Amino acid sequence: MTGDEIRPSHLPWWWFAGALSALGAAVLVAVLLGAVHLDASSVVASLIDRLPFIDLDSGLTDREEAILWDLRMPRIVLGGIVGATLAVAGGAYQGSFRNPLADPYLLGVAAGAGLGATIAIAYGPSIPSTPFGPLPLLAFLGGIGGVAATYAIGYSVRAGRTAVTLILAGVAVAAFLTAIQTYLQQRNTETLREVYGWILGRLSTVGWTEVWMVLPYVVVATVVMLAGARRLDVLSVGDDEAVTLGVDPTRVRLVIVLAATLGTAAVVAVSGLIGFVGIIVPHTIRIVFGTSYRIVLPLSVVLGATFLILADLLARTISAPAEIPIGVVTAFFGAPFFAVVLRSSRGLGS
Amino acid sequence: MTPALVLVAVGVRFGESTILDSVDLAIEKGEWVGLIGPNGAGKTTLLRAITGAVAFEGSVEIGGRNTSAVKRRQLARSVALVPQHAVLPPGMRVVDYVLLGRTPYLGEVTGPSRHDLNVVAGVLDALSLSEFMDREVTTLSGGELQRVVVARALAQESPILLLDEPTTALDIGKQQAVLELVDRLRRQRDLTVLSAMHDLTIAGQFPDRLVMLSGGEVVAEGRGRDVLDPSLIRAHFGADVQIFDDGFGGIVVVPVRSQEEINDSTP
Repeated sequence: MTGDEIRPSHLPWWWFAGALSALGAAVLVAVLLGAVHLDASSVVASLIDRLPFIDLDSGLTDREEAILWDLRMPRIVLGGIVGATLAVAGGAYQGSFRNPLADPYLLGVAAGAGLGATIAIAYGPSIPSTPFGPLPLLAFLGGIGGVAATYAIGYSVRAGRTAVTLILAGVAVAAFLTAIQTYLQQRNTETLREVYGWILGRLSTVGWTEVWMVLPYVVVATVVMLAGARRLDVLSVGDDEAVTLGVDPTRVRLVIVLAATLGTAAVVAVSGLIGFVGIIVPHTIRIVFGTSYRIVLPLSVVLGATFLILADLLARTISAPAEIPIGVVTAFFGAPFFAVVLRSSRGLGS
Repeated sequence: MTPALVLVAVGVRFGESTILDSVDLAIEKGEWVGLIGPNGAGKTTLLRAITGAVAFEGSVEIGGRNTSAVKRRQLARSVALVPQHAVLPPGMRVVDYVLLGRTPYLGEVTGPSRHDLNVVAGVLDALSLSEFMDREVTTLSGGELQRVVVARALAQESPILLLDEPTTALDIGKQQAVLELVDRLRRQRDLTVLSAMHDLTIAGQFPDRLVMLSGGEVVAEGRGRDVLDPSLIRAHFGADVQIFDDGFGGIVVVPVRSQEEINDSTP
């Protein structure tokens, strides 16, 4: 046998292309559906018109253009960014902790970031929406605090520790942090009107501000996580064996967890607590495409975006003109899914 | 010639308890040394210290270089370990598992090169694993699995191979097969082998030399027939044994009930 016959697991380009097509389709459907009807061909023309070096007359009125570009598109793009980040962060946490149940929501990261963001908005300067202001910083610190507390509590359990132990620790940490956050929110209803409904997650935005605010963090975090995919595959054989393969498990875990937390904190700061995306998306990919993180993480980015755009579409159309919080939609699908993962992961050590 | 592996006063402590105490050991290139000793003697810890998985005092030198001065990746190119209970990632295929052995040669992001794939192909051939290439590791039988774990270690192409009780879960046919394989590979590839061994008869048959650890210290060292001594085994394992010559230069260690116990239990 020669090396030509060796076929290691990898992500074939057509899987990735297929995932991108799904994302494109989701964007198109989400753009077209809404309270105001927009003509499909005009919308497509307007989308193409925005591409560089192409000039097309879409035939949309100024008002329709505004609805498309200042209301629907920012929300769709933000939903895509949030979904991509939560999904890839979920996969990265699962690899770092070698725990199939790990998720930004269940590890206390999202709750910590939410608390940090609430503090920033309640007590910080009144212009919160810049990429390098106190809002993302405090959200990040809160997220780090959340995951650190969860990790410390989960790993202080000696006897009978399983994958579930870490998640129970996360539940306790998240409940505590969310309690403080809710209290602060109640005390500051005036300043916090803009974040009302946060605990259930929401994607209602005005314009592109939020998108530009989270983008730098999300890009950096995602690049670091994707670059660490091969290392996460090595970690899957356990810390001791990873050492004998020349990998420093502590360093890999630290870098990946910091990146995942940075991304999570940034998106939580603008979208609130949207749960289960980090469970549903990576696990579906594992079942369908393979377990290597070189497959799971890149596909999580694309399909996480797709998933959340569709979930948001559901959230704003199912009982229109009212909106249900998107966190309700993701929990509706995610909680049963989590139960299935829990069943199949019984007995997994941590 | 510099020995392939030298341990000088290696000690490992966890808080108050001493797991290993001032162990000295030198292994020549191409030599197979068997580590024996009762449970908790420190055999596994000694192997972990050599791979850098546990902090230790003293020094470990490989090919004359102190391992503490060598980067982890570099060390993984010099020493490979076959663990006692390998962790099996669910869903991982044999080919991906064996390819993990190439980790110390891969760049941060770049994939395996043609050479890496050739090495994996060669190892799979050598261990008759080609037909299992696409199987998931969690579906393998004990004997197949042990060969796969050895394959991963060989893919590291390191001159020193550490084995932690490589035959624990295997029936005697598979035990012999795995150990003969190790012996063949070390001759073909000029490997230096250090193996922790549970079964004293097997320890008396395969390695060139034995080291007996007890309470974290080396208590005996030498050829099989010198170390596998009934009084030493009585003292450190608390076992009564008889030693026989197998007629081919190897040793057979047979546990026997002590005469006193038999007399006590006879009414």
